[in-house]
Parts: sequence; structure tokens; C-alpha cells
Amino acid sequence: MRWNGGEYNGEEEEMTVKIRFFARFRELLGTDIMTDVAAGTMCTSLVATLAKKNPEGYAAIFDENGAFRDFVILMKNGKRIDIADAAKTLVTDGDEIAVFPPVAGG
Amino acid sequence: MISIQTDDVDIGALIIAAKKYGTGAVVVFDGIVRDDDITEMELEAYEDVATQELVKIAKDATEQFGLLHVDIIHRIGRHAVGENILIIVVAAGHRKEAYAGSRFIIEAIKAGVPIWKKELTKDGERWVPGEHGHGNPKAG
Repeated sequence: MRWNGGEYNGEEEEMTVKIRFFARFRELLGTDIMTDVAAGTMCTSLVATLAKKNPEGYAAIFDENGAFRDFVILMKNGKRIDIADAAKTLVTDGDEIAVFPPVAGG
Repeated sequence: MISIQTDDVDIGALIIAAKKYGTGAVVVFDGIVRDDDITEMELEAYEDVATQELVKIAKDATEQFGLLHVDIIHRIGRHAVGENILIIVVAAGHRKEAYAGSRFIIEAIKAGVPIWKKELTKDGERWVPGEHGHGNPKAG
């Protein structure tokens, strides 16, 4: 799936990143979404833009104030990001952002 | 062997392979699809990351408990009641280290490895809630 996030302003370098949703979030929003983003895009806005494709998916991940629900787990290139830091975490070309609910393996 | 895979494994063969020189105890943990009024269980993983984390957990357990051998096989896909989900085989010189190493590994997997389970019932399906649900790694 390829989708344009709509944030590219034509003046800055365009980048491609991959978003992976898992478990219930995957069922609501899909996964392995390749999307073009503008330089300067932050992790929170990227996830929010994609999640808004499905109101139920958005509501599963974000609260009524637009903040990540406290159980949501984020990873950038396989490393955890504190959800409190996601609004100031830049995404860069080739990044893989993963969004998922609490794990339940074992 | 550290693996996330659909297929089951031959636990007997793993035990034989685990008996390295100096082994005095092998502990096997076999996590199974329990009959909680479900028909099947579906497992999903963030495979690349989950595999890396299993490798790290095995390394940490080996160092901490002086283990001689570790296998972790976590299955994904759809499986019926009674089927194996997770097999951990740990070999050590003595039982104390083998039991402790095995326990360390299963608890670490439950705490943070990105794997999810969905229970399928006659009436529908439900995701199994995690035991460590929070999005703030600093919160511990």
C-alpha cells in the first residue's frame, strides 16, 4: 500500500517511511504502509495522519485530546520510543515506525 | 535455536541436542493453547524485532545463570487447543540454574517481546490483553 500523507510542501526533501501496525491496530488500519512525508515530520503527526483513515483505528490509538493512549507502544527502527517524546521525534527517510498494543506472547 | 515460526518442533530432539558436555539438568517449558472455551488461538509477531529480542534474552540468561544451551521457539499462526505455542529448552550444570534460567526467559518474553495472541471462540474472537501494558518505557 502506498499513500501520500499530504504534508509535502514542494520545497523540502520528500522522504519515504514505512508504518507497521500490529494486532488490533493492524486489523483496523492495515500494515506495511509506505508513505511519503515531508522533512520535519514528527512521529506523532505521521501516525495520526494515517490513523485518521479509520475513526475506530484512530480512537484505538489516540485519546479525545489527540494524545497517544498510555498503553500504546511505539518503535522506530526496532527501538522503543517513549510516547511522550513522539511529538518531537523526527521521522527520516527509510525509517520503519511500528505501532502496537501491549504484547501478550509466551 | 532461536526461532519464530509456524511449524511445531520435535521437543525430544531439542532435549538430545541440548545435552552439551557438563550438562547436569535440562529444563523444558512448553506453553500450550489452553482450553478456555476457545476453538483456536492465532499468534502474530513483529518478527524481526521479536527475534532480535529473543536472541538478547537468551544471551542475558546464558550470562546470568551460566547456561550451557538455550532454545527458544515461539510459534505464530493459527493453532488448536493443545498445540504448542512456546518451547524453551535450557541446559545447565545444575537444576537450580536451569530452572532459574528457564523462568527468567519466559518472564522476559511476557514482559516485552512483540508477540500477540487472539483467542477464537464459537461466538467471535478476542485479543488477549498483555500483562505489561504501558507505552512509556521509562515508567518501568
